[in-house]
Amino acid sequence: MNWDLVLLAAMAGAANWAFRALPVLLMRGEARPGGVVARFLAATGPAAIATLFIASVLPQLWPAPRDLMPLTAGVLATVAGFWPRRSVVAGTLAGAAAYALAVWMTG
Amino acid sequence: MRDEVKSPGFAAGALAGVPIALGYFPIAFSFGVAAVRVGLTGWEATFLSLVIYAGASQFLALALVAGGAPVLVAAFTLIAMNLRHLLYGPALMKQAGPEAGRRHAWAWAWGLTDEVFGQALGALARGQRFSEAWMFGLGLAAYASWVGGTALGAWAGGGALEAYPALNAGLGFMLSALFLALLLSILTRAALPAIAVAVLATVAGTLLGSGTAGILAGMIGGALAGVLRK
Repeated sequence: MNWDLVLLAAMAGAANWAFRALPVLLMRGEARPGGVVARFLAATGPAAIATLFIASVLPQLWPAPRDLMPLTAGVLATVAGFWPRRSVVAGTLAGAAAYALAVWMTG
Repeated sequence: MRDEVKSPGFAAGALAGVPIALGYFPIAFSFGVAAVRVGLTGWEATFLSLVIYAGASQFLALALVAGGAPVLVAAFTLIAMNLRHLLYGPALMKQAGPEAGRRHAWAWAWGLTDEVFGQALGALARGQRFSEAWMFGLGLAAYASWVGGTALGAWAGGGALEAYPALNAGLGFMLSALFLALLLSILTRAALPAIAVAVLATVAGTLLGSGTAGILAGMIGGALAGVLRK
């Protein structure tokens, strides 16, 4: 085992644990409803999820667009799979299946 | 009335983690292959996934290790990449409400990755009660897939999934589809300003800076838009 690698992993892993767990463990006081902190935290979720979706598809659109047909099929199938029962699992699986099918059909 | 609703347990959480696990697997597999290619052993590759458990950081770690970067410089670079995770716990507990348990958060919060956070927040926004057992199940399904996928990739080599390009591509799109479905599940008129600003800031930050800058700009910009909203 490479000891530099062990040290690197230990430091990065410890920081990751602290970033994820300590705010939950230490945040005891409730933010005042309607206050700045409460509104910031309430908006963090939608903002984070929108950010992660855009960040995950942006490499396919920029700097050079690629695999646009599978991307379009995947996005449309995700929306179509989600709406009938508002199911996240159905939407996700439909989107991935449509993307795979489009890749297979376009060779 | 709310107390009469049964809290979801470990098995329900693990089931909710299946789409994440399916999405993680090919990425972790690719990480295992890449790690062995830069000279790490299978044990070292698996150890990185077990201890760091953060996708982009781990790929960057390979580049830094292969490039001979000093350990401290590499460590601080990796740590800076994951600062966004500081926001996830408070945002989740705000949605969970004041009665939510956090006694075992030292363990389940380790699994609070981007995708686990999104899935948990989406479930709470749809009216599900918060439960630490559910969080354990959700987190463990994702973590097991990440570590297992890395180990298989390191030992099986790159040929396994490359033989099925359509399947590989579909699995690769799984996380994007998950984020989109989660976004649809929490879409409300009140959330639109935060979402719109997050989208614009992510694009601007990525095009003008880097992928990491785009993610930080999107999350912080979107959250600030929520503060400014009356």
